[in-house]
Amino acid sequence: MLQLSQNTVYKLISRGEIVAKKIGKVYRIPLSSIYFALTGLDYDLYQAEQKDLDIISRVEGELTKTRASL
Amino acid sequence: MKADLRVFVDSDVVISSLISSSGAAFLLLNQSKRHKLLVSNISVKEMRIVVLRMRLGISKLDELLEERLIIIKLKQKAVEFRKTYGNYVTDVNDAHIVAGAVIAKAKFLITYNVRHYKTEKIRSKLEIVILTPAKYLQYLRSL
Repeated sequence: MLQLSQNTVYKLISRGEIVAKKIGKVYRIPLSSIYFALTGLDYDLYQAEQKDLDIISRVEGELTKTRASL
Repeated sequence: MKADLRVFVDSDVVISSLISSSGAAFLLLNQSKRHKLLVSNISVKEMRIVVLRMRLGISKLDELLEERLIIIKLKQKAVEFRKTYGNYVTDVNDAHIVAGAVIAKAKFLITYNVRHYKTEKIRSKLEIVILTPAKYLQYLRSL
């Protein structure tokens, strides 16, 4: 999924670049730690963008109507 | 860092920041001071209409315009920019935004309406990068 080798992921965990928790012999990586790899955004910015996307269609609709009349 | 990045902000971003105080548009307009945020007088006109229609409070918009945004005066009307900048957008009614960014000498155009702009053509011919607020804030973190 991350297109990284297993060794690279272990190195990133040991350097603290990916936050993970070892449970038994297995590392568990929370989704928030790999958001950048998935979305190109840090987790907080991804969440902030989603907040705006919830309302943007209403804004775009009003703006499109307004621009057509300028 | 000096506030020397010139960033033109589309009206949808400004209006979104008035609706949600936890969105990326709000963060862009209210937290970061690493740039000059620009809008045009035509943008202000359309924002006022939309804010009134959506009953968002014109005083909140005025406060934002006064404290956070620099207004660039465009001498032509919105329709007059269609001929020059209409081929940079998929909806000619958005042409005045591209015109505003060019006249303001902006390096970035921040919008949620990315699909209405011909981003590659704008980047190569006008040297303006189009990004969403969150992508731009992510870029600032990389500096």
